[in-house]
Amino acid sequence: MGIFKRLWAALDERLGLAPLVEFARHKEVPRHRYSWAYYFGGLTLFFLGVQVVTGILLLLYYRPTAEAAFESVQFIVTRVPFGWLVRSIHSWSANLMILSAFAHMFSVYLLGAYAKPRELTWWSGFALLLLAMGFGFSGYLLPWNELSFFATRIGTDIAGKTPLVGGWLLRFLRGGDDVTGATLTRFFGFHVALLPMITSALLALHLLLIQKQGMHVPEKLAPEAKSRPPIPFVPNFALREATVWLGGLALLAVLAAFFPWELGVKADPFAPAPAGIKPEWYFLFMFETLKLLPPHVLGIEGELVGLALFTFGGLVWFLVPLLDRGSERGKRSPLFLLLGWLVLAYLVSFTALSLAGVFQ
Amino acid sequence: MAANETEATVGRRTFINWLLGTSLGATLAAALYPMLRFVIPPEVGESPTNRVLAGKLSELPPNTGRVFRFGAKPGILLRTPSGEVRAFSAICTHLNCTVQYRPDFQHLWCACHNGHYDLQGKNIAGPPPRPLEAFKVDVVGDDIFVTKGA
Amino acid sequence: MIPRAVLALACLAVAATGLAAPRPGTVGPPGKAAVDTCLDCHRSLDETRLSQPAEQAATDIHRLQGITCAGCHGGDPRAEDPEAAMNPALGFVGAIAPTAVPALCSSCHSDPSFMLRYAPNIPTDQAAQYATSRHGLALAKGDTRVATCTSCHGAHGVLPADDARSPVYPSRIVATCGRCHADAALMRAYGISGNEVADYQQSVHYAALTQKNDLSAPTCNDCHGSHGATPPGVSSVSNVCGTCHLTQRELFDLSPHKEAFASIEQPACETCHGNHAVHTPDDTWIGVGKDQVCGNCHVADDPGGQVAAQLAARLTGANSAIAATRERVARAERAGMLMDEALVQLEEAHQALVLARNQVHAAALAPLARETGSVLAAAAKADRLAQAAEDEIRFRRTGLAVSLVVILLAAVALLLKTRSLER
Repeated sequence: MGIFKRLWAALDERLGLAPLVEFARHKEVPRHRYSWAYYFGGLTLFFLGVQVVTGILLLLYYRPTAEAAFESVQFIVTRVPFGWLVRSIHSWSANLMILSAFAHMFSVYLLGAYAKPRELTWWSGFALLLLAMGFGFSGYLLPWNELSFFATRIGTDIAGKTPLVGGWLLRFLRGGDDVTGATLTRFFGFHVALLPMITSALLALHLLLIQKQGMHVPEKLAPEAKSRPPIPFVPNFALREATVWLGGLALLAVLAAFFPWELGVKADPFAPAPAGIKPEWYFLFMFETLKLLPPHVLGIEGELVGLALFTFGGLVWFLVPLLDRGSERGKRSPLFLLLGWLVLAYLVSFTALSLAGVFQ
Repeated sequence: MAANETEATVGRRTFINWLLGTSLGATLAAALYPMLRFVIPPEVGESPTNRVLAGKLSELPPNTGRVFRFGAKPGILLRTPSGEVRAFSAICTHLNCTVQYRPDFQHLWCACHNGHYDLQGKNIAGPPPRPLEAFKVDVVGDDIFVTKGA
Repeated sequence: MIPRAVLALACLAVAATGLAAPRPGTVGPPGKAAVDTCLDCHRSLDETRLSQPAEQAATDIHRLQGITCAGCHGGDPRAEDPEAAMNPALGFVGAIAPTAVPALCSSCHSDPSFMLRYAPNIPTDQAAQYATSRHGLALAKGDTRVATCTSCHGAHGVLPADDARSPVYPSRIVATCGRCHADAALMRAYGISGNEVADYQQSVHYAALTQKNDLSAPTCNDCHGSHGATPPGVSSVSNVCGTCHLTQRELFDLSPHKEAFASIEQPACETCHGNHAVHTPDDTWIGVGKDQVCGNCHVADDPGGQVAAQLAARLTGANSAIAATRERVARAERAGMLMDEALVQLEEAHQALVLARNQVHAAALAPLARETGSVLAAAAKADRLAQAAEDEIRFRRTGLAVSLVVILLAAVALLLKTRSLER
């Protein structure tokens, strides 16, 4: 026991850690009927942690070339002990992370937590979600199987439709005119170097802001939160959050056990695209909407109109702390609340309908 | 009564702490064990893509051949009567049977339909329509490495 | 210098014997293109009939080897004056009659010592063979519709037979023969149906020739002969088939069919496989039912019909065992299991199936059953490996279920701990 105390004293003396401990001791989480919404951010962080650990493990064997990528993933899942598990967990955790991030974002939006002074937290969170989708998009190609190859071809094709910079963007993403081994190398670079670097910085900012500003209490729940004792962060909230994390881990174990991520068939760039190629589920709403649009809207290409609408919608969503003027005074506009529910309904219904095969 | 209750509470607490410690420890072990096993490389140290150790020079006297595998696909390693080492795909170009080296013919032969290939892998008799795919051979010491598509 | 009179006399002598050998001065040394005034004029003539031969001669092997126009047509290839160049006194002949063609070509091509200088590697017995062919026999009777040398090789733009552009190059022979033999109206006069070319074009051999570029695949002349073209006899075609399909032929020779077919003058291979439309054989052919080949002679109850039913049953069993196992192994592979060993076994099963199909030619049950037995054994091995892979997936599931229990237990413990803290 003595040695730990001495070590702590020595570290505290040099680094001044006592205030941090003091901060943690006094950190509290408000208690009200929507307190459960506070767990989603932490859960997303947990899945991110799983991604980092399993991702680093996969890096030990993965090879980012068109000739060897599929074989190396095959090697991982067939020959490396527990490789099947690590790979399956990495794939499932990626999906759960994005799902949990979406849940986090919508709970924050619907409870109005984006309002001043938390604009920066909202913006960094928004950027983190886009980065997560970037991770998903780039990581999907890495096993170099048939599905991922053609999904990437379609996805980059859509990006190439952007006015003015489309052609440049397409070549930047693909590392050439078509999806080739050059694309794989590039996506690998994005996936394991570029995106992690940006994500780390933004995540640090996001977490720091939350510590600085404390948890947000929705205006209508303020009386309830005042009337009930807050949850001390250490140890009570931490223990609860840990329980949620264990739930996440259990879910991963169930998914890996009952729905092991398949290896698929090696991509053949010259084979015709198989029927029913779809992107990852979190891009489905966009994919299906673009497909539903007529070829031409008011003389402009339908896909372009769709992309413009998505960009505009994303911008509105991003700028909501500024657009919802009443929010800083604790009076959120019901219009924005309605918008939130509508967007949620749109995303959920389009994704569900697409998964159910209604759009085929 | 109060003392009893306290005792029960203490016992309960001890049990909870024990349960918590044990189950968390077990969870941690369940997570760490696969990771530790994962980082230890398997016996086949490399993902077999297009290069394999096909055999040993010392085990391949002149005028013999042996079948090796690229994953599940057979290749044939042969040593010509003059001592040269060559490798070809062992999949007969007629109906995908596995070809063999015939020391009596001094060339490759497919048992299925009596197809013959010379020591360059060229189809010389019988039904095979095309030559066998040739592989690159590298001899390092006693080891014979065969590379596909090079 | 030879006196002119002697030369003129010699020329006349040659003309009199009717194009028996090229006249001196019309044939240059080998390897050097002929110099020829005929081409200079004929190229610029308006009438296609007269200019085309000159244009075609540009790539003609004979001209490139020093044979002038006069080598065949007579006349003086060095004379500037048309009258002198096409002087009948110098043996000039315009259009050469079909009946004269074989003799004209053979005047050089049947002369080994002449050919030795120009093309030592080509045979010199074509004319002799031609004389025995259906074409040659008919021509001798004055039928000018039959093929002569130029019908197949061309007259003016003759290319070596191993030039891919030549009409007698293996991949183009079908079209060349088909120019006459696909003409049902023309063939009727000779008692030939005219379907042969179309039939052949559906065959595996034509596919091998044109799609796989396998020049050893048989085309018209491989069975019928090229210069000595005749309908092949009952035994000779089987010999042709046997040069490539040696295994099947050896097995057939051991079978009861060899004697039986010979006694009723049935050919060996074509009785079941057809002659021109040789399709990829299929296991479903075996049997006495509709569209099944054994039914041509056998009925279900005779010993042959019973053996056929047995052979078919064994092959069907082997086929379905391979298909089912292949599917199962592929499923395990997609699920990320290492199935290399099972694939090796499947390959062995496939090889045994190929050998079993060979044994159909022996028309005996035991050797085929031995091979289908190997098929089933190898497929069973692969199936066991697939089973093991499925068991492994189940085992992993169990392992994860155990760890799931551990995780849930930890979650429960955490909940209890939280509650006890907050009590």
